[in-house]
Amino acid sequence: MHELSLLKKGSAGRVVRIHGTDSISMRLLEMGLTPGVSVKMIGAALLGDPLEIELRGYHLSVRKSEASRVEVAGS
Amino acid sequence: MSTRPFTTVLLGNPNTGKSTLFSALVGMPTRVGNYPGVTVEEKIGRYTHREIPIDLIDLPGTYSLSPKSPDETVTVNVLFGRVPRIPSPDCVVIVADATNLERNLYLASYVLELGLPTVIALTLCDAAEKKWISIDADELSRRLGCAVVPVVATTRQGIATLREMITDAPHFPRRNKINIEQHLAAVDSIHEPAVREAIARYAWIENILDGVVSKHPSTTRSFDEQIDAALTHRLWGTLFFILTMLFVFTSIFWVATPLMELMAFGVDTIGVWLGSILPQGAVRSLVIDGMIAGVGGVVVFLPQIAMLFFFIAMLEGCGYLSRAAFLMDRLLVGVGLSGKSFIPLLSSFACAIPGIMAARTIENRRDRLLTILVAPLMSCSARLPVYLLLTGAFVPNVPVGVLWLRLPAIVLLSMYAVGVIVAATVAFVLSRTVFVGIPQPFVMELPRWRWPQAAVVLQRSYEASVSFLQNAGTLIVAVSIVVWALSNYPFDEQAIEAEISHHRIALKTQLESLRAAGQETSQTAMELTEILAAMETPEGIRAAQKGALQRQSFLGRTGRLIEPLVQPLGWDWRIGCAAIASFPAREVVLGTLGVIYNVGDVDLSKKPGENALVRRLRAATWDGTNRKVFTLPVALSIMVFFALCAQCASTLVIIGRETGSWIWPVITFTYMTTLAWLGAFATYQIGTWFMGA
Ligand SMILES: Nc1nc2c(ncn2[C@@H]2O[C@H](COP(=O)(O)OP(=O)(O)O)[C@@H](O)[C@H]2O)c(=O)[nH]1
Ligand SMILES: [Mg+2]
Repeated sequence: MHELSLLKKGSAGRVVRIHGTDSISMRLLEMGLTPGVSVKMIGAALLGDPLEIELRGYHLSVRKSEASRVEVAGS
Repeated sequence: MSTRPFTTVLLGNPNTGKSTLFSALVGMPTRVGNYPGVTVEEKIGRYTHREIPIDLIDLPGTYSLSPKSPDETVTVNVLFGRVPRIPSPDCVVIVADATNLERNLYLASYVLELGLPTVIALTLCDAAEKKWISIDADELSRRLGCAVVPVVATTRQGIATLREMITDAPHFPRRNKINIEQHLAAVDSIHEPAVREAIARYAWIENILDGVVSKHPSTTRSFDEQIDAALTHRLWGTLFFILTMLFVFTSIFWVATPLMELMAFGVDTIGVWLGSILPQGAVRSLVIDGMIAGVGGVVVFLPQIAMLFFFIAMLEGCGYLSRAAFLMDRLLVGVGLSGKSFIPLLSSFACAIPGIMAARTIENRRDRLLTILVAPLMSCSARLPVYLLLTGAFVPNVPVGVLWLRLPAIVLLSMYAVGVIVAATVAFVLSRTVFVGIPQPFVMELPRWRWPQAAVVLQRSYEASVSFLQNAGTLIVAVSIVVWALSNYPFDEQAIEAEISHHRIALKTQLESLRAAGQETSQTAMELTEILAAMETPEGIRAAQKGALQRQSFLGRTGRLIEPLVQPLGWDWRIGCAAIASFPAREVVLGTLGVIYNVGDVDLSKKPGENALVRRLRAATWDGTNRKVFTLPVALSIMVFFALCAQCASTLVIIGRETGSWIWPVITFTYMTTLAWLGAFATYQIGTWFMGA
């Protein structure tokens, strides 16, 4: 189990947990980043941040700091 | 049947085609674009169906009913009938993107629980088909207990059915079929309650969609994905971004120039024609020296404005803006802004007003305020004509040795860069002094790629052109007339003659004293001789009269009063007046310059196609000398001033409205005007030093 931000480009994982219940975590959940969902790392912007991920058939951009609240398990 | 209008709202995630659907249903054009945050306030339109008037409300997109940004708050307030001037909705149309139903139904799960009559419009069905996604709308309708209508808003497919369903909806009370509890019970209890609810809702969605949506995943990477991979690539994507911006600005300069020359030729021809039919006198002067001189210098830039908006609409339509925001996020965080500030700031290159309004999509108040404060520093389309005219007229057209670039294009780009760099600096300083705060989230959907719709792109260029011409036809005409009046009255022939003869005597005395000192051949002496000779020609007499009239006019008196303030910038009092007249709206400046510098030069046959205003500015001299007013450092100093100055009353009003306080417009005005003066001062002084060295 590791942080979403550590997923390698092109690899996928399954969300295990989201830490926190503040508005940032709530937004991540609303966007479908719920435990159980599978996510794929598409890439990162110039300085390695933010990240582009794919989940539930669409693309989402999150910063590393936000992605670090999400724990994933390699699939 | 009652004729009370029936209030229906369009509710959905951002970028699902709500506004496009609104236009299709109501037949009223609205702003659309392939990025979140195009619609930031509600828009109401009425149509009649089966004799029932229906008030349709287009709303900003939202992902849930717990709003996080001001635009989402608008949506939720309208839905719950909390906005006094809008009746609470009788019917909700959930606009759901067929390519992404899973996430779209999350919001729907809340809305369906409200128990209001509901219709689901499945939009973007054409795009879904291309992605090999097929949806069994009938089965979905059965499972959700409400009508589900597949539509393609851009081609109006399914619109008639949707209209029927909206009208029928209130007569068919929905059976409530939302059963989240059952899924809630199945969620692992290690999660917090809020997390459990989200999990349960997505579990409900997965359950609903099971067997309704079928996807045929292609084995090869789709074209979209390949484009996406290239354009958001950390290196190639960034390079592409820079090249795109370079391309847009240089092509505005070069591609539109021949068209502009055509326009200039047309304006000249009209001027000559009017000159030949109007009798000598005040009316002729008003029309030719006031209106043609004022408006003519501005309307010639129509092709550039149309092109700028064409490019902006292309970028808005294809989905690139969100990618650019993604690429720029880190950089923006570095200066205290966020990736979310990118779209508002980019929109401000067209006009700061929609840019400032687009800042409503920013969740956090601090980021939002900062974005609003620096947005007017982005060079808006009203500044473009000033840059184009001055670079075209005073910057030598030489290649710079890099790619195909030439010096005027570099100067033009630098003007845009000046605004961006100053905005970054201001944001950086403010975010570390006044607006200290914690980093804000950047959770943003990257919309799918799409070819921009030709109709939308053309509409945007057309609208911008029309409003540009309307401005030229109203505001600029009005200001030109006022400036003309102020610079032509009071008219006192004796005083004018007195000034001219006084001036002539002064010059002669000076020349004689030079002769007496044996400096007949000095440059000053030669110049004086030249000026004196010119003053005797009929044209010279007319110019001298006009000049003296202007100096003695209301405008001239005020101008000379403020001259000490603008002299350090290298400006004469006339430029000072034009700058001051532009404070309510900067687009009037060329008109004003055209009127003010309309002294002497009447030779329209010289170079067809060349802007008359350029000729006048090139010929302008400091009062009583033949030293040119407009040199390269002066032109640059004017441009820098316009790049940085807060010369737009409407922008300040909008800042006041959007921030809910008059203090922010005052601060914006003060800091921008101060920086403008300092920037222009530095530019002129450094430029002069450079030219001297
Ligand atoms: N292919 C396709 N594109 C559409 C359709 N409806 C809207 N669009 C495009 O989707 C983007 C978002 O549309 P818009 O109406 O602004 O969405 P809103 O944010 O929900 O108001 C725009 O680029 C539209 O041109 C459709 O039915 N088919
Ligand atoms: Mg919209």
